[in-house]
Amino acid sequence: MAELAAGELTQVLAPRRRTWPGTLGLLSGPLLWLVVFFLLPIVIVGAYSVGALSLLPSDVPGGLEIWRRFLSGQSIYLGLFWKSVRMALTASVIVVLLAYPIAYFLALCVKKRKYVLLLLVIAPFLTSYLLRVLAWKVILGDRGVINSLLYFVHLRQPDHPISWLLYSQFAVILVLSYVWVPFVALPIFVSLDNLDRSILEAANDLGASRWKVFWRVTFRLSLPGVIAAFVFVFIPTLGEFVTPLLVGGTSGFMYGNAISDLFTQGLDWRTGSVLAIFLLGVVALLLALFGRFLQVRRIGAA
Amino acid sequence: MDIATSRNGLRALRAFFAFLVVFLYAPIAVLVIFSFNNSVVISFPLSGFTLRWYEQFLSNPSLLHALRTSVIVATLSSCVTVALGVLASIAIVRRRLVAKSAISALLLSPLVIPYVVFGISLLVLFRVIDKVLAPTLGIVIGTGIHAIVIGHVVVSLPYAMLTLVPRLERISVSLEEAARDLGAGGIETFRRVTLPLIFPSVVSAFLIAFTLSFDEYAIASFVAGQDATYPIYLFSQLRVAFLFPQLLAVSSIVLVVSLLLVLATEIGRRRTERKFEGEVGRIIL
Repeated sequence: MAELAAGELTQVLAPRRRTWPGTLGLLSGPLLWLVVFFLLPIVIVGAYSVGALSLLPSDVPGGLEIWRRFLSGQSIYLGLFWKSVRMALTASVIVVLLAYPIAYFLALCVKKRKYVLLLLVIAPFLTSYLLRVLAWKVILGDRGVINSLLYFVHLRQPDHPISWLLYSQFAVILVLSYVWVPFVALPIFVSLDNLDRSILEAANDLGASRWKVFWRVTFRLSLPGVIAAFVFVFIPTLGEFVTPLLVGGTSGFMYGNAISDLFTQGLDWRTGSVLAIFLLGVVALLLALFGRFLQVRRIGAA
Repeated sequence: MDIATSRNGLRALRAFFAFLVVFLYAPIAVLVIFSFNNSVVISFPLSGFTLRWYEQFLSNPSLLHALRTSVIVATLSSCVTVALGVLASIAIVRRRLVAKSAISALLLSPLVIPYVVFGISLLVLFRVIDKVLAPTLGIVIGTGIHAIVIGHVVVSLPYAMLTLVPRLERISVSLEEAARDLGAGGIETFRRVTLPLIFPSVVSAFLIAFTLSFDEYAIASFVAGQDATYPIYLFSQLRVAFLFPQLLAVSSIVLVVSLLLVLATEIGRRRTERKFEGEVGRIIL
């Protein structure tokens, strides 16, 4: 009995107090909201994709036929998926390459006003996503800021704009990188900032050069943050459809655009549901593989 | 010696940091500059300063209507989000839960869903609801503002949790216990002890939810029905050349206001945080 911890002791001695509102009362609202408006719709889409119910007059009783055609690559959509994977991978790599030096600089090199500078980098992320994409449309167009500046200084003739700037894969990847850099700097910053500096000093004392310290100690220790950052960009980018819609044109068309078009224009909801559930499965797989690196809680605390 | 960088390395990093800040803010600056440019065509050279785009958008009824719709949607969804977020975070932090990790996983899961998938799922849900209700009760709910609000609450809830939970965790439970020992009930303890202590985070959760909703296009584009929000209006009018400068004017206002709001709340939060930390520390000691 002498071993009883203080907490247990109070629990034994204190009369059991009824806490009000009860835990169920607190949680029922939020949980019900998510079950009804988040889980249930996804389950319905899943059931719909295999033909368990029909919603539109035009719905063909396809059953698993649409799934089979999609997975065997007979429709265009699987190819589009891989194209989107390539684009999302490229954007994610660029984002991490841009964000890492920034996070490194802020976490390890800046002594004063570290958090003010961090806020300076993150602030754009918290403003309008749509408008930051829109700005690039203004900048990249044939008569946009860059091209008109080139005409103005006579580097190019007005009838020969650099036309691949807008409505191209380049534009989509550039804008996606631009949009996500601030967000990704955060988890990398947190993992570098939490680094125990004495480990670096120890490595240095044992004769490692700066590069060696960086490559074999600092970078290795920041790897969880890097992977978290990478996955956090890759997932939303893979399903992206707003940015390609604004700056992608036909060559920048992505998987997310196909889903959107099937629902809003093509009115082939069944195929759209198959595509959506497949994407969700891919996301779930990514989370299962890399979930342990995504310490959202720490990111939220920063 | 500094292990992190050599002197040249530091110089390079500093230059890169400056470059990135320019890269991040230049497009925003371009948007604002051209909103004052006296020409329908958005290109160099600049052709003089004007306020007429701002005057024009103030007398554009459909744009103003879309802005009003967005304010309504954002206000409703951020209020519901904060209410649900506070309830859920108190349950997560203060109560012993059976399946705690599963419940927090569910609460955070909207963070990783592609918005296009969630948007079409909501559209399908409302179609199913109508399909069930219309023949039996003769009610057609359809899509519209209510559907957008519902969707925005789902996707902002995790952000509210991520703001509220860490704050709540740092407040000693003994403060609430003391209030209860002094005879306060559950509601009174919350209103007079817990809420004031987490208030800075409540404000930032509200603002995060508000900006997210105000700006959100992907989900709204599927379930808006006839109720065009500001992003939906913006998208639909992008091709109309003579309207474009007006859209730049509105966009500039939205961008600058949200940027200032973010900076102000962040600075405010850090300040109260410091003050609170001191006070709570003293109370506990």
